[in-house]
Amino acid sequence: MAVRFIDPQNADFFRNALNADPEFKIAARYMTKDVCIEVGITKCIVKFRDGIVTQIKSENAFADPWDFAVRGAEDAWEKFLQPIPPRFYDGIFGGMVRGNFRLEGDTISAFSHFWAVTRMLDIFRELQNK
Amino acid sequence: MARIEPIEGRYIYLTVQGIEYRVYYEESGKGIPIICQHGGGGDGLEWNRILMDCDITLKYRFIAVDLPYHGKSLPPESVQWWKEEYKLTKSFLMDLYLELIRELGLERPVFMGNAMGGFLALDLALEHPDQFRAVIAVNSALRAGKPTLDTFNHPDVTNDYRRSNAMYFCGPTSPEKYRREVTWCAMQSPSVTKGDLYYYFNEHDLTGKADKMDTSRCAVYLLTGEYNPTKSVEDTQMLIKQIKGSKFNEMKGMSHAGMAENPPLFKTYLMPILDEIAKQHN
Repeated sequence: MAVRFIDPQNADFFRNALNADPEFKIAARYMTKDVCIEVGITKCIVKFRDGIVTQIKSENAFADPWDFAVRGAEDAWEKFLQPIPPRFYDGIFGGMVRGNFRLEGDTISAFSHFWAVTRMLDIFRELQNK
Repeated sequence: MARIEPIEGRYIYLTVQGIEYRVYYEESGKGIPIICQHGGGGDGLEWNRILMDCDITLKYRFIAVDLPYHGKSLPPESVQWWKEEYKLTKSFLMDLYLELIRELGLERPVFMGNAMGGFLALDLALEHPDQFRAVIAVNSALRAGKPTLDTFNHPDVTNDYRRSNAMYFCGPTSPEKYRREVTWCAMQSPSVTKGDLYYYFNEHDLTGKADKMDTSRCAVYLLTGEYNPTKSVEDTQMLIKQIKGSKFNEMKGMSHAGMAENPPLFKTYLMPILDEIAKQHN
């Protein structure tokens, strides 16, 4: 299964979907962070500026800075993105507890903005399966 | 005509380890008393949908307690709590419940708890088996790991974190309306989670002791959610091998939030246990 949110051709579509989501708008309020979502060896940087996603960059992002990263193997993300994920792949926190995902960088920031991150990933799942 | 549910809330004065507390509890139903303990950082609202279910409360009396410093149980007047770091201990929890049983005149109630409450259920069964006819430990295990807790107490980490985490402590097929209620309850939490987790991570450890539980004096039932990442089904299965006579059921599709994330489904696991307890004690 190809992970759609790291496809550069989908970047604008996914960005617009995030910014249009009512729950995401509340969850991401005031957020100005660069969030790295790493799928296997592919880095995807989601740039938030004052609560708005301004860019999703997965092409040539290897040197882009980030504040915190959520990392997982490709097959872990494939499981996470299923309409009904299997256990231990259904949520990032649980996935971290079970060693399927890693949270790195400024973890305080990550937990401060956890709602925005988890809602974002839920939207990625919805769009993956549309 | 007004629609009023038969849940009643009261305050009871309990003196525990020399300090007087006004402890809030809600009760509903008649019959065998069942004390309900909430999870870490939560309050008795987690049991709300169970207490409002007239089928369940027809034969059983549910008593859902807000621990001191949680929900409607304010901090004690005699303590300058704002100058101290809150820390929940096993001895406090046990003394509180023994005092509650005494003050309410409960005769060998059932003790049921989820997560942190599930840990306490087993600790009570081990150390005070003659005070309870049975315990129901939801999402419990031998012990927990010991992660860093400071992150969860950081001033930059607000209840936004708790609401999002709570969502994913529910199974993906649990109905959205109940999952959102779980997040709502989690958002209300005062900053007690780190203190509650002191007991959870540091003081509950049944290693080398679980096999000493006497289920002929206090029956032990365990329920664990299929999706629970913190205490997996396998963790519980390891535990039941050590508790002779204990009974276990995996709650399919459910996770850490237990009774709150899918009350109708939780009921299907709970009722056979309660009916078995009732039959054994008739």
